[in-house]
Amino acid sequence: MTRKALPRRTFLRGMGTAVALPFLDAMAPAVAAVRRASPPVRMAFVYVPNGIIMDGWNPDYEGTLGELPRILKPMEPFRQDITLLGNLTHNTGRALLDGAGDHGRCCASYLTGVQPRKTVTDIRAGVSFDQIVASEVGKQTRFPSLELGMEDARQAGDCDSGYSCAYTNNLAWKSETEPLPPILDPRALFERLFGNGRVLTPEARARESLYRRSILDFVRDDTKRLESGLGPSDRRKLDEYLSSIREIERQIEKAERDNAQIDPHMEKPYGTPADFAEHFKLMTDMMTVAFQSDLTRVITFLVTHEGTSRPYREIDIPDGHHPLTHHRNQPELIEKVTQINSYHVRQFAEWINRLKSIREGDASLLDNCMIVYGAGLSDGNRHLHEDLPTLIAGRAGGRFKPGRRIVYRKETPMCNLFLTMMDRMGVHVEHFGDSTGRLDALDLG
Amino acid sequence: MERIDDVLALAMLNGLDGKREARLAAIAVSRADLAAAQFCDAVRMFYGGSGRGLPIGLADGRPSATEPMLNVALAQKSAIKSINDTADPATLIRNALMAQYDRNTTVVLSGPATDLVKLLYIFGAQDWIVRKVRLLCVTEPGLDADTAAARKLFAEWPTSIVVVPRDVGEALAFPGECIDKDFSWSSSHPVVAAYRAYGTMPYNAPSWAMAAILCGVQARDNYMRLSDAGTVGVAADGRLTFATSDNGKHRRVLLDPDQKEGIIRTYIELASAKPVERKPRHPA
Repeated sequence: MTRKALPRRTFLRGMGTAVALPFLDAMAPAVAAVRRASPPVRMAFVYVPNGIIMDGWNPDYEGTLGELPRILKPMEPFRQDITLLGNLTHNTGRALLDGAGDHGRCCASYLTGVQPRKTVTDIRAGVSFDQIVASEVGKQTRFPSLELGMEDARQAGDCDSGYSCAYTNNLAWKSETEPLPPILDPRALFERLFGNGRVLTPEARARESLYRRSILDFVRDDTKRLESGLGPSDRRKLDEYLSSIREIERQIEKAERDNAQIDPHMEKPYGTPADFAEHFKLMTDMMTVAFQSDLTRVITFLVTHEGTSRPYREIDIPDGHHPLTHHRNQPELIEKVTQINSYHVRQFAEWINRLKSIREGDASLLDNCMIVYGAGLSDGNRHLHEDLPTLIAGRAGGRFKPGRRIVYRKETPMCNLFLTMMDRMGVHVEHFGDSTGRLDALDLG
Repeated sequence: MERIDDVLALAMLNGLDGKREARLAAIAVSRADLAAAQFCDAVRMFYGGSGRGLPIGLADGRPSATEPMLNVALAQKSAIKSINDTADPATLIRNALMAQYDRNTTVVLSGPATDLVKLLYIFGAQDWIVRKVRLLCVTEPGLDADTAAARKLFAEWPTSIVVVPRDVGEALAFPGECIDKDFSWSSSHPVVAAYRAYGTMPYNAPSWAMAAILCGVQARDNYMRLSDAGTVGVAADGRLTFATSDNGKHRRVLLDPDQKEGIIRTYIELASAKPVERKPRHPA
């Protein structure tokens, strides 16, 4: 018996709105259930700045993950789903005769594998590997990639000892001279994902808000039509998915109301929650939807820009992040940085939990991902570019064998990991950045 | 690190570093012997290295038996506990070269050429070699452990090469009697411990690796007489041949009896030099 399959690229449409759908069972015919097309592998980078207190990150063992150190404690419920990698190095982040500027170099080299030119004006780095992947797999999605952030996306000026702000404020580079600035405004991101491509000015948005309805209202008729042809499992999945979109809308609307109450004239991305955790959740909720509905398979998320001096009043730390990381081994400052590092990981863990809860066929969305959480510096006090903190969540569509800490030899290029990840995304290149080969031991046997 | 002159060469390099005549940028061990890497690390820490800076390289492969002279490493301080505390030699050297000034680096090879040939085949590494390396200095003994790699090295290495032949190193022997005299300022010198463990004292040690270092130090480059330019070949048994040619990039060290005494005095001076305290550039 055959049943007409729902096309994978089905959208709910209405009034200039297009809402993509997650992977549903109805997208594969019943007779092909055994040979069901696997959901695609997705890749994301979540980058935190200023290094990490490595004593609180590195377990004192290799092999199967057991109890995790303090900063990684929130990941313990997911230790079967994560891999910790040790001794990965970005030699191109080091000075290499260019003097000061580790923050500018480490961020610009993180996904490009090249040392950026030390300049404030005629910037030059390299094509980041996420863009190499996006140029291939992005042909199959609405957005080749998404670049997201939560803080200051200035592209000009001197942000670190003669290195342009373009280096500290971008992860992804489309070409040697063209960084891809992250989207910071949750409302702008939402409109990009679900709108008709328009990005509204604040004035236009204010006019439209008088008539504000949920985008789900615009696609109500299309939703009813679709639901009538779905089985119970798919109806439940669709309902959960659309509920998550509505929840994102509510979070943005709440943030907009809160911002208006604080100061309607303040310069803040429209719809940005004041609280770090809320903002992080909002952005990662949209990343989840983007992956779930295959709007993109490549995301980079520059949590805060490299070298940031953002305070964390949310956890009672009024000191700037960057100055704290130059702790000169003072215990009270190390403690504060550890708390910031832990706070970041807690938010990440909540996102991983959400990804794990979403089913895609026989696996979870997380299983079909490679989510790298990492930093361009290890020891932020000494500005070290070796043994970079690197955690991969997910199974790369069943290819990775997580639940382990793998320590490679010293000076192993981080770019060797990128080559390996490119392979899992179906993009094969011989070398990238300063790579010397591929990482072994990551895969299933 | 099979020969005692390799150990003396380590001391000599640290002596040059202390005099600011050279800076030791990277060390790699061409045998898969963790104790050899630990010994190099222990020597580095003895001379005041803090354990920071680039790690020690260690060849891959089936672990080799440890030379008895290196067992002294077990009694010394070292941060190396496993192979993952060491680096792949080719990657290490490539990374170290990227941090040097142009045409300011000497690479010294005392042992098989295996890892230097691997370096040649890392994507982009040849460009770094051309840009950063002034000279490659090679000892003849040790090349026979991998004659195929030796042939590739002499055929494909892009810069000038100076070779220290067997007879030159044998003629410029390091006098064992100075171990008790010139190294007496330390009761725990790892190089002294290794020297005593290597042979029955007192004995003199051939100095191929030490001669190779002197060839490569610009401040001392009038010490060694060199042949005319030519091309080195590698015979089946690992012995080197040499043919003079105008456009050759290779030279051999020639033994000059008039220089012998001065060279050996220099060996002793540099190898027995005391560690020089270094202030860290940036406070930790």
